[in-house]
Amino acid sequence: MEVEAVEIQKKYPGKTVLNGVSFSARAGSCVGIVGSNGSGKSTLLSILAGVRRADGGAFLCDGEDLLRRPGMIPKVLGYVPQADPLMEELTAWDNLRMWCDKETIKKSLSHGALKLLGVDGFLRTPVHRMSGGMKKRLSIGCAVVSDPKLLLLDEPSAALDPVCKESIRCYLEAYKKEGGVILMVTHDAQDLELCDDCYILKGGGLYPYQYDGDFHKLAAALCEKNF
Amino acid sequence: MVRMAAYFLAQLKRARKLAPAQLAASFLICACAGALVYLLVAQGVLDAGGTRYRIGMVGDLSDSYLGFGIAALQEMDDSRFMIELVGMSEAEAEDAFARGELYAVMRVPEGLMDAVVSGENDSLITYTPAEGQKGLGTMVMGEITGIASTLVTSSQSAIFAMQRVLIEEGRVDEVNRATDRLNLSLINLVLSRNGFGEVEILGYADGLSMKLYYFCSVFLLLLLFAGLMNCAFFARRSMALARFLKARGVGAFGQILGEYLAYLGLVFLGLFSLSLPMAFLLERERIGIPEWEGMGAFPFWGFLRTLFPVVLMFAAMQFFLFEAAEGMVNGILLQFLCGAGMGYLAGYFYPAAFFPERMRMIGGFLPTGAAARYVEEGLFGGASAGAATAVFVYLAGFFALAVLVRKRRIGRE
Repeated sequence: MEVEAVEIQKKYPGKTVLNGVSFSARAGSCVGIVGSNGSGKSTLLSILAGVRRADGGAFLCDGEDLLRRPGMIPKVLGYVPQADPLMEELTAWDNLRMWCDKETIKKSLSHGALKLLGVDGFLRTPVHRMSGGMKKRLSIGCAVVSDPKLLLLDEPSAALDPVCKESIRCYLEAYKKEGGVILMVTHDAQDLELCDDCYILKGGGLYPYQYDGDFHKLAAALCEKNF
Repeated sequence: MVRMAAYFLAQLKRARKLAPAQLAASFLICACAGALVYLLVAQGVLDAGGTRYRIGMVGDLSDSYLGFGIAALQEMDDSRFMIELVGMSEAEAEDAFARGELYAVMRVPEGLMDAVVSGENDSLITYTPAEGQKGLGTMVMGEITGIASTLVTSSQSAIFAMQRVLIEEGRVDEVNRATDRLNLSLINLVLSRNGFGEVEILGYADGLSMKLYYFCSVFLLLLLFAGLMNCAFFARRSMALARFLKARGVGAFGQILGEYLAYLGLVFLGLFSLSLPMAFLLERERIGIPEWEGMGAFPFWGFLRTLFPVVLMFAAMQFFLFEAAEGMVNGILLQFLCGAGMGYLAGYFYPAAFFPERMRMIGGFLPTGAAARYVEEGLFGGASAGAATAVFVYLAGFFALAVLVRKRRIGRE
């Protein structure tokens, strides 16, 4: 799958959040987007996921503009928002059942994404009794159980312990290897190591950044006025 | 559509998990409401009142006829439910009067019965009410005294006339026996006056009896406050899930519809659990509603059918209010304030007929007023097109508003 965002624009009254954002990603790659708080990273992701409307631009997946054909979005991509999109009173199984049939879940639990994420270990646990790491893995599981080719992640490792981060990272590497495209908004250095391309979102514009593992340099770049 | 159905089923599962706690809360509230309904409409209780006027009797109570009369009133007459006559001394009466324990004091002057027997009218019972001014109670008491005077004077005239006729006809030996018989007949006439008079209430709303009116009002109030009883359903909802659903093709309309239908399940479960004991009480005729007399619980099931569109409308309103409020506490407060305010104006607490014209007009336009009108008309053979339209317009309006608010919140920064 080839993914390309073209001149995406979003304005709120008195504020331009995205001013012609463009990037591209090829199959089996991961794109990381960093930026300071309130720079519009989550807004960009939610526009690409079809949650919010863009004021202009296109989001092409294999040539199809998903912003013009929002009905295709659920088939093409999986979206994991920053907060966990789960029903607290229900079990992991019940939450997964919202998004696909029993057979698909069972298949995924035996040798698919849910197995890799370790969801089988807490399948009957109600969400309100889960740890933050379990919830995040389940959230990703809900997004990928129907096997989308593009995955949008909004800060997937925020406030997670190292073991959980590693578990998610292992899964995302496997996802990439299978030809999936990951678009990730993050503040985490470990997450960025997974990314093939890195961009900085600043002042409504998206700028390529060569991340070399030096997080301090990245922080300095974010602070720089004329980046 | 498939995703929306799956979301609805998930919400239904959620509602099922919440149901036991909600039912417990509902039962607690309904038990209180049930007690209220029982006190208001249960046979005899409303008629009996429950608050009795305590009237102190002072003066010459030594006469056996007067004592017999007071005892008869207190033990056999219907007035015993409302009036308690207590014999006491002047000093005791003054103390009790000062403490506010007496509604009024009746002074029986010395030689009253002798004066009555001899046909004189210069010895009068004095009635002194606790109220400083001439209130309704005093006026009623005055009327009752008037009626009693007429009864006494007429019966005395009858007795004197009979005695004179018997004496003139030379049947002196029959006088005492005939006087006793006539006295007993007169006493019987007075004491068996259960059906002597009846207060007829024309009806509070389109002719509903007071009992049925309050019965409807309590049910409507319970439905109006169902949002409070089922508030757990609206807790722990996250916008993350709403955005996730949107990304998976379930928009604001589908989300609200799925949640609304599941919520209705919870509301109907609560209504059903309340209806069963209510139907039982009606079947056993423990709740006497004049319009449903002798029909058992049958009309009650019809009443529940009439309530159906109102349940839908109130549920939509509760949905909108919780959707519009920021946070759970605000939502509960909004539910309570809107419910209490609109319920009051629509006459759920007091019959709307008691309110000034302008308030009644406003109340009639409110969703609660539309619901009351629909139910009242429904009880008289079917709601009019106007009443039904108002309920369905409000239903659609609240639903649309809830969808709009959800849409805005999903798209909010």
